[in-house]
Amino acid sequence: MMNAQDITVAYGSREILHGVSFSAKPGQVTAIVGPNGSGKTTLLRALTGDLPYTGQAVLNGIDIATAKPWDLAAMRGVLPQATPLAFPFTVAEVVRLGLQRGLEAQETSLISRALARVDLGEFAGRLYQELSGGEQQRVQLARVLAQVWHPVSEDQPHWLFLDEPVSSLDIGHQLQIMQIARDYADQGGGVIAVMHDLNLTAMFADCVALVADGHILEQDSPNTVFRNDLLSHAYKCNLRVNTPPATGAYLLPHAASMAAE
Amino acid sequence: MIRASLFCAALAAAPALADPHPDASRIVSIGGAVTEIVVALGEQDRLVARDTTSNHPASIRELPDVGYVRRLSPEGILSVDPDLLIAEEGAGPPEAVALLNEAAVPMETIPSGYSRDAVGAKIRAVAEVLGVPDRGEALASEVLADIDAATAGVAQWDQPPRILFVLSLQGGRVMAAGSNTSAQGIIDMVGAQNALTGIEGYKLVTDEAVALSNADVILMMDRGAGPGAQADELFSHPAIMTTPAAQSRRLVRIDGMKLLGFSVRTGEAVRELAAKLALAEG
Amino acid sequence: MTVLTQDAPQILGDRQSNARLLMGALVVMLCITSMASLAVGASGTSLWQSLLDLAMGRDLSLRDRVVLWDIRAPRTFMGILVGAALAMSGAVMQGLFRNPLADPGIVGVSSGAGLGAIMAIVLGGLLPAAITNQIGFYLVPLAAFFGGWASTMLLYRVSTRKGRTSVATMLLAGIALGALTGALSGILVYIADDAQLRDLTFWGMGSLAGATWAKLFAAAPLMFLSMAVAPFLARSLNGLALGEAAASHIGIPVQRMKNIAILTVAGATGAAVAVSGGIGFVGIVVPHLLRLMVGPDHRYLLINSGLLGAALLLMADVVSRTIIAPAELPIGIVTAVLGGPFFLWILLRQRGILDL
Repeated sequence: MMNAQDITVAYGSREILHGVSFSAKPGQVTAIVGPNGSGKTTLLRALTGDLPYTGQAVLNGIDIATAKPWDLAAMRGVLPQATPLAFPFTVAEVVRLGLQRGLEAQETSLISRALARVDLGEFAGRLYQELSGGEQQRVQLARVLAQVWHPVSEDQPHWLFLDEPVSSLDIGHQLQIMQIARDYADQGGGVIAVMHDLNLTAMFADCVALVADGHILEQDSPNTVFRNDLLSHAYKCNLRVNTPPATGAYLLPHAASMAAE
Repeated sequence: MIRASLFCAALAAAPALADPHPDASRIVSIGGAVTEIVVALGEQDRLVARDTTSNHPASIRELPDVGYVRRLSPEGILSVDPDLLIAEEGAGPPEAVALLNEAAVPMETIPSGYSRDAVGAKIRAVAEVLGVPDRGEALASEVLADIDAATAGVAQWDQPPRILFVLSLQGGRVMAAGSNTSAQGIIDMVGAQNALTGIEGYKLVTDEAVALSNADVILMMDRGAGPGAQADELFSHPAIMTTPAAQSRRLVRIDGMKLLGFSVRTGEAVRELAAKLALAEG
Repeated sequence: MTVLTQDAPQILGDRQSNARLLMGALVVMLCITSMASLAVGASGTSLWQSLLDLAMGRDLSLRDRVVLWDIRAPRTFMGILVGAALAMSGAVMQGLFRNPLADPGIVGVSSGAGLGAIMAIVLGGLLPAAITNQIGFYLVPLAAFFGGWASTMLLYRVSTRKGRTSVATMLLAGIALGALTGALSGILVYIADDAQLRDLTFWGMGSLAGATWAKLFAAAPLMFLSMAVAPFLARSLNGLALGEAAASHIGIPVQRMKNIAILTVAGATGAAVAVSGGIGFVGIVVPHLLRLMVGPDHRYLLINSGLLGAALLLMADVVSRTIIAPAELPIGIVTAVLGGPFFLWILLRQRGILDL
């Protein structure tokens, strides 16, 4: 269980998040959506312990603010937006960085499995710095998966925190990565993802938190949150949500709003 | 000991009285002034190595070089299997001296100094160490007489020339001689005046101090480079350019060891400097 | 580079077995260079003959004893320690700053140590004779060490806010501090006399020539301790390559690890600079070369850097004391003459392949 109460984050004197409350359940994909600069990535970074905040954030019963990094690492992995590497590591070496201590004996098989999961089994010997941005992002996901491979251990769910995981990917790999997240949740793990693409969110998320101007406007199922008025208000443009019964919600920007921009 | 007491006055500045080593036959001589004295005493055959500053006479350069006087290599010195080290004051580093001491290589230190009397004291001390005090006395008399004759022969200046001794131009900065330096010593001997006042030792001096010095003549060590190029570089220096010396391009260059060594060639140096100054003035 | 990984028995891209093989080769190389350092010198003293004599129960001559025991032996150990300390500090620093061009010089250790040494050389005469007599020629090394330590601490204080050290601030502050210590050194150089200037010049060029047992015993504990700690940082430095946030996400106590890394570098470099002056390029070239050969995994990089740094510095020292024997060339000149072009060659060769 991820539970955050009254989270406030400020950069200097500028307050980015104004006392938001947020929760996520294991077994679900919880998406955080909102316009640029709304504070959605800031929220994720507070929940991963990267930013100082006031309020309380608790993951699996452990207070994020006071937890030791290794205790947090044992139960959640974080995929950043992009990860440039300082040194010429190979793909296999990057994935190995995610492995927890004590797994040295199985590291070869864990690395292979993680790479196979993101469809990069052939890339193990390549230099990370020579890969494209999308390939690097998938390598990083493999690294995070290697860290929290088992979605549930000893009744404590493991979590994936994803910061715009598919932004640099082509549509095929976007679907692939979102499917990995979906599968992870279906096996009992928790997934919290900052998303830009509302359609992918509607397809894969169980729960959506809509952030605008440092507040969470609403957190509920996509079908509930994705309403014309609420989204149009949050994104400050006219949006139309279509909800055919067969496919679930998908969104189109309203023609009038495009003309207005 | 009786003879040693004769030299007490002259050696007052020395760190320790030198012990004679008449049987030493594998001597390493450290410091150009000391080496020149050893050679002048006719004891060159007893030398097996020298330091980098010992470059005169030319025959001495055939001996192995154990490094710069202040950066001696202990194993380098031991490699020539010496039975005596005769070094001018300031030879080092101390670690090297300590190691040579450890290896039981006797070391005698010759006091330095930048005056007529210091030359005599150096010669006598070297001769004492080499065990040839009589010849030392003779050489000292000869050299001192030469110096006296040279200084007596210097023309009386109407207006003593103001000399700026430039040791080097490091990255456009002038390193020049103040008081209490060997350059001051030789300038005094020719009855001239150090253009740089209020500074002690060799210093990097500000451009303004150089300009204010009002030097009539620039004095430098002769490094064997083309004279024209050196003078051009010197006189195009913005600070030196403003001095009277630059306006009339008066540059005097003399072999560094001869000029500043305060050894057996000091009389010669006085004559050469006086002659070149007179020429430059004329 | 992937060619090296072809024979790896495990997963492609895992260069651990290569790194281990290289470690073995470097140990052998260090043994050989150590022997060479003990055996080679200006004098004719033969290590083998002396060992034979000792084995036969014969006494060595005083000269041979001094050459082997008081000159070559402390110098060899000093070369091993200083080379290893500089190369390892370089590797730690580069890992910490996530920049293959970082160098202990960047955090102000070297410039602070340099200032300390210059102060000792120029102002040492002002100290009461009672003090200078006590510490004698250890004054310069001691001052260099405290200078390095003090500047690192100052820099660290400047760049740490609320328990978090900003590497970017540290880099910038390091540049500022470098300029400041440079200016202070300049002032001191201005008031130095020519003899002191010559000492400064030689100190600046770096040398192992001053190695004595006493200096070795004074500097060795600090270098040993620092180098013994460094390998424990390896996993953390690997993680730090992902960035500080990501390193923390995989369980690395980033702040604590940065503290330890900085202390390690200050200790090892400060002590090394204190006893040997400024010896350049070892800290950059050695880790860089090893990364090209077996990759940047710090679990091997740190130890291999120590081994290769020690071996290379010993080789450079053997060159420095034999090339113009019986005089010797400062080792800093040898490392710069050998290291500079080599480094340029590496950069040219990999230009466009690796992103610096």
